[in-house]
Amino acid sequence: MPRHITLRVVAAAEAGPGIRRLTLQDPDGWRLPRVRPGAHLDLQVPGVGPRAYSLCGDPAEEDRWVIAVRREATSRGGSAWLHEALRPGDMVASAMPRCTFPLEEAATHHVMIAGGIGVTPFLSMAPMLERAGRSWVLHVLHRGGPPPCGDDLAPWAALGRVVLHDTLSAPRPDLATLLGPHRAGIQAYCCGPPAMLEGFAAATIAWPAGAARMEHFVPPALPPDPDARPYLLVRAATGESVEVAAGESMLAALRRMGANVDSSCEGGICGACEIRWLEGEPIHRDLVLPAARRATHLMACVAHCASARLVVEA
Amino acid sequence: MPTAPGWNGLVAHLHITPRAFLPMQGQESIALVAGEGIVGDRYRIGVEQGFYSEKPEEGRQVTLFEAEALEAIRRDYKIELLPEEHRRNITTRGVPLNWLVGQRFRIGPCLVEATRLSIPCRHIEEILGREVFNPMVHRSGLNCRILEGGTVRVGDAIRPE
Ligand code: FES
Repeated sequence: MPRHITLRVVAAAEAGPGIRRLTLQDPDGWRLPRVRPGAHLDLQVPGVGPRAYSLCGDPAEEDRWVIAVRREATSRGGSAWLHEALRPGDMVASAMPRCTFPLEEAATHHVMIAGGIGVTPFLSMAPMLERAGRSWVLHVLHRGGPPPCGDDLAPWAALGRVVLHDTLSAPRPDLATLLGPHRAGIQAYCCGPPAMLEGFAAATIAWPAGAARMEHFVPPALPPDPDARPYLLVRAATGESVEVAAGESMLAALRRMGANVDSSCEGGICGACEIRWLEGEPIHRDLVLPAARRATHLMACVAHCASARLVVEA
Repeated sequence: MPTAPGWNGLVAHLHITPRAFLPMQGQESIALVAGEGIVGDRYRIGVEQGFYSEKPEEGRQVTLFEAEALEAIRRDYKIELLPEEHRRNITTRGVPLNWLVGQRFRIGPCLVEATRLSIPCRHIEEILGREVFNPMVHRSGLNCRILEGGTVRVGDAIRPE
């Protein structure tokens, strides 16, 4: 089974300080798989592995995907490659886009808070919300200079949908003030650096479950699990099994048995390593699986197990 | 070789896609090439693009799916699966695909030989974002080899050889 979609870089342009915006298409311009707003792409970075980037184009444009990537000083290789090596005409490989940061369709008012390049998933949500006639506002916090993806934001800013907060020239806004109190029909979203996500989590701590969603760029450090115990991991397809030590990675154990499981973040935030489980009692430690889906699926990179035996489909 | 008597079907829809994962696109006609596959489709033998293309198979040059199976899935599972979503090339009407393994039959002017039943693939759930794998078990269509090529059009007859 081929695991990748082949894409050609058709345009590359600067989109703010240290940000490069890339437009990707099928080599023949064929329609691409439909994506949901908030979805991300795992691009295969040569010699590095998969790296996740939020799609920031309008999901209704079915023949192109757009990403905007900031050059990270401490790049593990992904952003450096996207900034310096890739040229229009080059081919890249990506996994199927995944959406771990979906729009809440039922909400009547959407408040979005972006830190810097964290604006990208909201750029794909904005046209969908506008077409659906929803009430929405996007707060973009950035430090000096032109804002990230300024050209994409400008039309929304003109409509009063986007509010820019330059934290170099004005005090940092208080997230709780931007959000206001929880009220019926409201959905809040945040994508940005870890400190901002922590502030957002604190500001929405009293909100009902699911009413405030976060998208992480980097997996948060998981606390060691004091209840971790060894268990027997069984592959339903082959009947093979392997002992997994307390706290050991299920993903690593599956690979020891030769299972072909995708992974990207290996920290429970991207959704790449999702597998189905059939028997046992998994302990979910990811940040992306909706509660209902946990009854049948788990994220192998971070999940543990509370029972002596766990049967999975992988 | 025995044939299943008493059936007489037609081509309801035609779809191709050049690469894995990409959406299938509807066509008014498709060109079957004997021993290879469909012009422009991912399963055609000999035109692999090397870079992550779907692996062609000798016995899977053209794939078929029953329109009746789409209706059964809607009835039994309340899932609306469109003809471009089952990811087979030819959507048939009035053809008992599950009975045809090992047999030869005509699709328009072309002669094909059924090699085996298709098996559903989990990756269809990833593509559609819907849980359609279980509903498609035992009704996932038929794989065929092309013995005589030609142009197949929507509405063409499908009949036992
Ligand atoms: S690899 Fe990202 S969630 Fe497991």
